[in-house]
Amino acid sequence: MDNFTEVSPLKLLEMSSRKELGRGKLGVLMARAGVGKTACLINIAFDKLFRGEKLVHISLEDTPEKVTSYYHIIFSDLVKELDIQDETESRMLFDRNRMILGYINNSFEIKRLKENLRTLVDKIEFLPDALIVDGIDFEKVGRDTFEGFIEIAADFNVEIWFSALSHRHINDVNERGIPYPCSRMDDLFGIIIQLQPTPEGIFLRLLKDHDSPVTEAACIKLDPNTFLASV
Amino acid sequence: MAEDIQKIRNIGISAHIDSGKTTLTERILYYTKRILAVHEVRGKDGVGATMDSMELEKERGITISSAATYCEWNNHRINIIDTPGHVDFTIEVERALRVLDGSILVLCAVGGVQSQTITVDRQVNRYRVPRIAFINKCDRAGANPQRVLDQLRSKLNHNAVLMQIPIGLEGKLSGVVDLVSMKALHFAGPYGENLTVDDIPDHLLDEALTAREHLLDVASMFSDELMEAAIEDNVSEEMIHSALRRGTLRREITPVFLGSAYKNIGVQLLLNGVTMYLPSPMEVENKAKDLNQGEKEVILSTDPLSPLVALVFKLEVTPFGQLTYLRIYQGSIKKGDEIVNTRDGKRIKVGRLARMHADKMEDIPDAGAGDIVALFGVDCFSGDTFTDGSLKYTMTSIFVPEPVISLSVSPKDNKSEIKMAKAINRFVKEDPTFRSYVDNESGEKIVSGMGELQLDIYIERMKREFGAEVETGVPQVSYREAISARAEFDYIHKKQTGGAGQYGRVAGYMEPSEDGTYEFINKIKGGVIPSDYIPAVDKGFRSCLKKGRLIGFPILGMRIVINDGQYHSVDSSELAFTQAARGAFNKAYLKAKPVVLEPIMKVSVECPSEYIGNVMSSINQRRGFIISSTEDGVFTAVDSEVPLAEMFGYATVLRSLTQGKAEFTMEFSRYSKVPESKAEELKKRFADTVKGGGR
Repeated sequence: MDNFTEVSPLKLLEMSSRKELGRGKLGVLMARAGVGKTACLINIAFDKLFRGEKLVHISLEDTPEKVTSYYHIIFSDLVKELDIQDETESRMLFDRNRMILGYINNSFEIKRLKENLRTLVDKIEFLPDALIVDGIDFEKVGRDTFEGFIEIAADFNVEIWFSALSHRHINDVNERGIPYPCSRMDDLFGIIIQLQPTPEGIFLRLLKDHDSPVTEAACIKLDPNTFLASV
Repeated sequence: MAEDIQKIRNIGISAHIDSGKTTLTERILYYTKRILAVHEVRGKDGVGATMDSMELEKERGITISSAATYCEWNNHRINIIDTPGHVDFTIEVERALRVLDGSILVLCAVGGVQSQTITVDRQVNRYRVPRIAFINKCDRAGANPQRVLDQLRSKLNHNAVLMQIPIGLEGKLSGVVDLVSMKALHFAGPYGENLTVDDIPDHLLDEALTAREHLLDVASMFSDELMEAAIEDNVSEEMIHSALRRGTLRREITPVFLGSAYKNIGVQLLLNGVTMYLPSPMEVENKAKDLNQGEKEVILSTDPLSPLVALVFKLEVTPFGQLTYLRIYQGSIKKGDEIVNTRDGKRIKVGRLARMHADKMEDIPDAGAGDIVALFGVDCFSGDTFTDGSLKYTMTSIFVPEPVISLSVSPKDNKSEIKMAKAINRFVKEDPTFRSYVDNESGEKIVSGMGELQLDIYIERMKREFGAEVETGVPQVSYREAISARAEFDYIHKKQTGGAGQYGRVAGYMEPSEDGTYEFINKIKGGVIPSDYIPAVDKGFRSCLKKGRLIGFPILGMRIVINDGQYHSVDSSELAFTQAARGAFNKAYLKAKPVVLEPIMKVSVECPSEYIGNVMSSINQRRGFIISSTEDGVFTAVDSEVPLAEMFGYATVLRSLTQGKAEFTMEFSRYSKVPESKAEELKKRFADTVKGGGR
């Protein structure tokens, strides 16, 4: 199961200053609609799972059934891609190391998430290493929510990955080169990466690397079907 | 024709036990002139309320079975499906909810939103059924309709809006103020059948104006016309009704009526609400599965001229014989028609067609889309779909899961034996997941199903409904065995006992099958086993799957491959090869590393969010693993997988952990290997039984 690191989208972070996002930090994957944000985010989740880590997937849009089916579909692709032999056992292990928390009909609040994570830790001894947050509307949610996430990252000693939707028609970029909508609060994130579709293929580019400068070369090409790093 | 269908209402009445549901139904039937006298649930006249047709229900004052009854109000035809008022017996609830288009949620003005109100409301919500609410028992000491209204909003997330305010409360309740017509209504006559309309008493005028303002605020969100009219102070009753109807059908408004069924106050206005705000069958989208297209979902048209599609949602034994309750979704049925059961393709002639009124009936010549009727003497199962034969549609999936729990039942005396057999025959027809067989070795009658509660209810019904006194054994989990490795076999069955002998040699291997099915692969070349004997070899292997050698439970599928063998021109026979296969199986089975499997259930618990920690702990303690939790407003749903063996008594535990505010559903998910210690315990128990000459 070690060979996932070779194809993980987070291979990009090998080009970063700390080689990782790191516990207590927030990271964002930005992409335009339809580019493959969710698939790539779930590949980031698999990066954690293949390392034997536990994660909580927080979905503000899709029901847990739908999220589970995303994981199962992507895992089926990985079975073929990585030639995984012990498919049933691996799937079961990943299912057990992954918890999905769904918040539907505007039920999401930082306070409730904190309580729910505390319940997982205290009541069923599920101690996550990472959180994956899908469906947060970066245009509507204010700094206070992300500051709440920073507290959670510190309290639970986890790293947190978000997906953020960028727009083709809004080209605002701040002075540090971070596009809208993350441009307004990029100081809150350790790592910002962006999926960029080009005629040559899909690239994952590093936009923010903690406090270090980012070079143009910090970029990897992804397979457009699997969103795994092209080897 | 379409106009007729628009005037049909198929409704359910859901409520917490003791909130007065049956009394309310009784009053509805009285006002709609379906009954001529009123009997109370626990009445002194010994007759009992009309809707509770089963003895058990009469005694407990609760409703288990979903009888259907028909009545008319304001030129509308209303079918009332009496939905179970308790949470334990899912299949009854699910079937009743399936055929409803709208629902009345009954609340007690004193008790308010109670745990079971939350449960039944959630069930109705799951089926996306629009509803109106009735705050009953406003005549009781401690009645506080405003508090109940607030609870509807805060605990059930309803956009609840009062349609009336009470005139007096508790012992002084004398009528209601209708906030649409802005009139005071009183209910005179022995059973409140005479409505009198007066001006609003002065002392209630301010309160009524404030409540009406709120009503208009809420309703105008669904009608621009009403919003404009409200600004210009030019609102008509029709505008309010139309806006409220729109909001209710979208399940974004719950109109709230109030009164006291027992004191005959407010029921007629509730009936007006049913006709005005709840949907007709034409306003509800119903889907069937087309078996000719791999169960692809198809939308049905509520058109009496289209081909017939009707669902059997209830079977009942009545003094008139077996009754089959049918909801017609598409097409129509008339007396003398031939209809086809999609499940088995059997054609059935419609002899008698009736509208039921609990245990009385009315013969009718025909019925069309949207209607609920009863047929007589039709041999079918509950959940079956009938068509005119031109379609192969089914309203429910034809997949029926294998039972996962069993229980031995024995009659206490001879009389009970016949009654028990009758009861079991009935239940098997009502519920495809309920099975029954005789264990060949112990000679015991075994009933099996999908859960402990399901079996409990059937045992209770055997006693109460059929008068069968039965004793039951301890519930048994349906374990399975399966091999986990490949093992070769090469076995010669040879017997010479005078006369023709027996000879057959079978060689090959067995291996686990990924999908859990049995597969027999014949790779014999050169006729070393003649093809005539191959089915006998298959039969021999198949027979061994019925009972495993580890714990005596059936063996889940495996792949058997035969690739060599030998026969004798005189001594070989089908019997010899069947025996050879059995011998080969026994030789290889233990080498194939068999394991014990247990049923794993998908358990979904829904509860107010504050109990989530308790619920998660309870699942964790039962060797369960939590897949997800979903917050929706003030509720959280937890999905998990738990071994069935750990689920005995869970309903009671959950009740005490959540003050009765949680409900759970359980369905079979898959088989999984049991922990080693448990496997050893089961093996030891089996070995002891074998030694003792049992199983």
